Amino acid sequence: MKNDFRMQYPLWMMGFIVTLGMFLFGVSSPTTHIVNTETEQSILVELGPIAGLFAVGSVILYFLMMIVFYTQLKRHNKKNPAEKISIFPIRPPEYLEQDEGMTHITRKASQKVYTFMSWSLPLLAVFAMFSPFSRIYTVFVILLIALIQYVIYYVEIRTHFKEEDE
Amino acid sequence: MLKNRVKELRARYGFTQSDLGKQVDVTRQTIAFIEKGEFSPSITLSLKLAKALQTNVNDLFWLEEDENHEK
Repeated sequence: MKNDFRMQYPLWMMGFIVTLGMFLFGVSSPTTHIVNTETEQSILVELGPIAGLFAVGSVILYFLMMIVFYTQLKRHNKKNPAEKISIFPIRPPEYLEQDEGMTHITRKASQKVYTFMSWSLPLLAVFAMFSPFSRIYTVFVILLIALIQYVIYYVEIRTHFKEEDE
Repeated sequence: MLKNRVKELRARYGFTQSDLGKQVDVTRQTIAFIEKGEFSPSITLSLKLAKALQTNVNDLFWLEEDENHEK
């Protein structure tokens, strides 16, 4: 069960979110000069070495992760033809609902995530409305909330599968 | 909290969690959750488990505060 792709799915999503955060850090750091006069219109973007590394590196990392993710997904679908996962699923594939026991565990994890979201989203709205920081920080907080919800879900599910004795 | 003798009776009949799971049509993990007391099964599943373990639901499951329960 620990190697079940559906259980690893939140880990993949966490990885993609972190990579997206790295990309955001990279592209939010450059200095931009905009000249907009009657005679001249130009945009100069200066990207520092570290920011550039994050921006370019994260894109490369993202594509590499996509390749491995897709390979794992195909392998899962080949092994489990009755429980195929779409590459862009509408319903979270990490829901384990083969029977009432698994549904119970999924429900507990989902309740924890729902509780977290019901607190974090209004707080995010207040942060976005009154934050003196730039818009980029709001995007960072959105990514952080998305990351935490997967962490909560994964930790809850993982706790129940810790002792897999016969 | 709901207590149970699933593990004890399963061992008595020499079933693995997978064997018992197949008999009552649930996953091995669900049997493990029940044994650890992480999950209280439905009446239907309790009846199926009692049948598979050749006992009755009253002997298989009881509430923790019911100190008079005889195994």
